[in-house]
Amino acid sequence: MNQTIDQIGMINPVTDEEAARLVRPETLDDLGWQISATPATTGPRRSRARILTRKGARRRLLLGVPMAVALATALAVAMVGRPAGSPPAGGQQALSFTTNAGGGITVIVRNPLADPGVYRAEFAAHHLDIILQLRPVSPSIVGTVFYMSGPSTGPQIVPITAKGKCEVPSGGDDCPVGVKIPADFRGEAEVDFGRAARPGEKYVSTGSAFAPGEAMHGMNIKGETVAQVLSRLRARHLTVADFNKVESNGDENVHQVPGDWYVYDAEPWAPGQVMLFVGATVTEPSAGAPQPAQGAPTPSPTG
Amino acid sequence: MAAGDEERQGRFEALYEAHHGPVLGYVLRRTENPEDAADVMAETFLTSWRRLEEVPPGPEARLWLYGVARRVLANHHRGQRRRSALADRLRGELAVGYRPPEYTGEMARIAAAFRRLPADQRELLALNAWEGLDYGQIAVVLGCSRNAVRIRLHRARQRFARELDDHRPGLTLSLNSPTNGANA
Repeated sequence: MNQTIDQIGMINPVTDEEAARLVRPETLDDLGWQISATPATTGPRRSRARILTRKGARRRLLLGVPMAVALATALAVAMVGRPAGSPPAGGQQALSFTTNAGGGITVIVRNPLADPGVYRAEFAAHHLDIILQLRPVSPSIVGTVFYMSGPSTGPQIVPITAKGKCEVPSGGDDCPVGVKIPADFRGEAEVDFGRAARPGEKYVSTGSAFAPGEAMHGMNIKGETVAQVLSRLRARHLTVADFNKVESNGDENVHQVPGDWYVYDAEPWAPGQVMLFVGATVTEPSAGAPQPAQGAPTPSPTG
Repeated sequence: MAAGDEERQGRFEALYEAHHGPVLGYVLRRTENPEDAADVMAETFLTSWRRLEEVPPGPEARLWLYGVARRVLANHHRGQRRRSALADRLRGELAVGYRPPEYTGEMARIAAAFRRLPADQRELLALNAWEGLDYGQIAVVLGCSRNAVRIRLHRARQRFARELDDHRPGLTLSLNSPTNGANA
């Protein structure tokens, strides 16, 4: 097992068994009984506490969603090299708000470079508790929503997209431009969408390293050794930020590995950088769960 | 009571019986205040009672409950505390019986580094180390893919190691952390 998980296991505040001993069984039974005595609304409810889809690529960090929120034309391109938080050009607001006939509000992102705090303040000025963020993602999912949360019940925010409004390296053109907020929306929501990363900035969410637009597009590394892959990466001016050593009882982060180890997969890390999944055997071990908490800590191979 | 209601009640009782222990452990491990743990516990099972149709069968039910508890906890941390009358007795017993541990020495350093992590990284590591969940199970709790869990765990371990190193007693901060060994 890896050292980090051992260390965190050591500070486990209380095990399930210890927790159970703190309370009389009758008290727990009573709670269960009281809960089932409350009125229940039967039938399935729509729960949209999180909206994350699984599409396509392996090893996605959070996942691009083809629908999406809030990105104006060419946001992906415009984002690079310009500081977040720069004031809106010409004193314009970062977002524009239009009240619809039914009382709902349509919000369009006017300044995709604004600080999230600016968006939040503009939402707050309209009595809306909404967090909108633009975060660095790998090229193939620039312009997509990768995280969205909202109230567990009731009306939800709806992203607005438009065809052909942006150009992203993956070639996708269904771009987010804003959100629709129903008149009876209550509570808080968060929408995070992807922007291009600046040099040195780590991706918060990623597509497959081999997808169009990504650093390793077109490469097949199956069955290759670390040395072989590193040489091919150098040819593309790519470096390895870190290695993920795959083991059956949990992965481990390592900074150095033998050149004759095998590469199982790769992951975009930051512009010009990838992370490699590696191990000593040709076939990737299937990683499982750690044995919770106990067990002697093993020394880290990297010290 | 109608037959349907009775069946529903029976399903809830089986769910509660099988999982109240793990859920109580989960919430206690994540709250500073045992009284909050009681409220989160009550609200989590109240949600499961109201949304019983959505609860998956078998062992996945525990993961679903962790996911609900996680959202209830997040609301608590955002200040949306709901004191539930249902939890009165549980709150009283936990308040008397439980104090979160206080660590000294190396354990205190580990706990401090852990606390400095962003909440989502803490949760990933805790689900792995405390609940003993594998990547696929964590993915169910968090609603993302197994591979996403793996990558995010990689980043979390990296950040944790850095937090631990940066606060190593008697050492100055290193200027440049990871070296790229084989990549150099």
